[in-house]
Amino acid sequence: MGAIFTYFKNILTGFWNLLLGLSVTTKYLFKKTNTQQYPEEKMPLPARSRSMIKLIYDGEKDQFNCVACMMCAKACPNSCIKLEGVRGPDGKRRMTTFKLDFSTCIFCGYCVEACGFDALTFVSEEYENSVYKRGSLLQDEQAMKWNRPAHLAPKPEEPAKVEAAPAGAKA
Amino acid sequence: MGDQIVQWVAGLLRQAYAMLGLSPIAGILDRIVCAVAMFGFVSVFVMFLVWMERKVSAHMQSRIGPNRVGPFGLLQTLADAVKLTTKEDVHPVKRDKIPYFIAPILAFVATFMGMVVVPFDNKVVVADLNIGVLYIIAITSFTVIAILSAGWSSNNKYSLLGGFRSAAQIVSYEVPLVLSIVPIIMITGKLNFSSIVQYQQQAGYWFVVPQFVAFFTFIASATAEANRAPFDIPEAESELTGGFHTEYSGVKFAMFFLGEYVAVVVSSAVAATIFLGGWLPLPFFGFLHLPGFIWFMAKVLFIIYLIMAFRWTFPRLRVDQLMDFGWKVLIPITILNILITGFVVLLLGKGA
Repeated sequence: MGAIFTYFKNILTGFWNLLLGLSVTTKYLFKKTNTQQYPEEKMPLPARSRSMIKLIYDGEKDQFNCVACMMCAKACPNSCIKLEGVRGPDGKRRMTTFKLDFSTCIFCGYCVEACGFDALTFVSEEYENSVYKRGSLLQDEQAMKWNRPAHLAPKPEEPAKVEAAPAGAKA
Repeated sequence: MGDQIVQWVAGLLRQAYAMLGLSPIAGILDRIVCAVAMFGFVSVFVMFLVWMERKVSAHMQSRIGPNRVGPFGLLQTLADAVKLTTKEDVHPVKRDKIPYFIAPILAFVATFMGMVVVPFDNKVVVADLNIGVLYIIAITSFTVIAILSAGWSSNNKYSLLGGFRSAAQIVSYEVPLVLSIVPIIMITGKLNFSSIVQYQQQAGYWFVVPQFVAFFTFIASATAEANRAPFDIPEAESELTGGFHTEYSGVKFAMFFLGEYVAVVVSSAVAATIFLGGWLPLPFFGFLHLPGFIWFMAKVLFIIYLIMAFRWTFPRLRVDQLMDFGWKVLIPITILNILITGFVVLLLGKGA
């Protein structure tokens, strides 16, 4: 008698559990989907996510922040940064050409870390970096030009990177 | 309403035969027209079902599913069909040629022939056989021959294993499938699908109410008969790559695929007719005066949705669990159901 009771009890509990499973999937059937239709919908990225290396361009002074101190070129493990600079009429060095070969760049971020003049940075929004020709990966300063929006600028009360600049320049 | 449309179409056909001078062979032509119409309907319906299955599975997993080809991705299946039919037909060199060729055709035709006896509406049925239930049970069992010969003739161990598993499974689940229809036949005393629906109309209830146990055992065994998950061990991908259709490609694979879905359609149509009252409207919705075949299709789609939900909810059964479930659970329950039904029928004196 006990065996028969267990037999029917097992069947009923099994049936009930199957119904529970079905209720879960049916609930999900009417829930909102999580899919993002990538080319049409884009996910907002965190401001500090690392997608592409850019040269910060100061719109007010109409010049790049870069002073061609060569720290980034020295820090680069693959030597993919080539840049030149000249001393301007005001006695300050200015970058004239800047070339970064993204075909050998590993996006390690050492150049951004080494930069003492707040001139190189990672940007978040440009992550569609495929190109059709290998030559297109060699970007110059015009291709890497980036106007930094005001809300991303370093806050003035922080010890700004610019103050550390002389030490970097002497070294 | 459905039979009026049929009468109208039949009248048009008669005129067309007379114009072409084919009136003497009208009977044969009628059959051919019916067969072609049914084939077209089933093919389009199966295309819709494949789309529906992908949508259902996608939304159950919080995805969107096909949405690129056509509105809501409805033409995705058409694109897949074009791709499959234009594919190169790759086949094993040491295959057994004749069974290898016949198997996919048989797999599709055997299940497709079941559609013939299912009434879509009152008096709208291709062949109103008075042994319709028996016919459908007999004809759908042919799939096991198709699957077994596909597995054997492919000359591949996985295919053979899949074929044997499928044979064991279909033979096992054929029994509860038939046994769950038996109580209905005991109550109505008819083997004709239209008569069973008419009985439900007169009785004022659908057989799913008194025979809900039979309904669930029927759906479970029908899912197993169609080799669908959670009973899909004949083609368990992780164990047997593709099972019996591992060595098939292109159109031949499409035939197996089509056959699987047609089997689902036939089982659902039978379940809708026997348990859910076929073309009868939903209770309290009779005032809508919708044509019967719309109610019928709605019921078929509901059962198909159930079978799809099974596939995307339940995990696959192991071989021994599958056999346990068939022989130790479904068959005793259906036999018990028959006993109780017989007792009640005797007690109420309602039997035929």
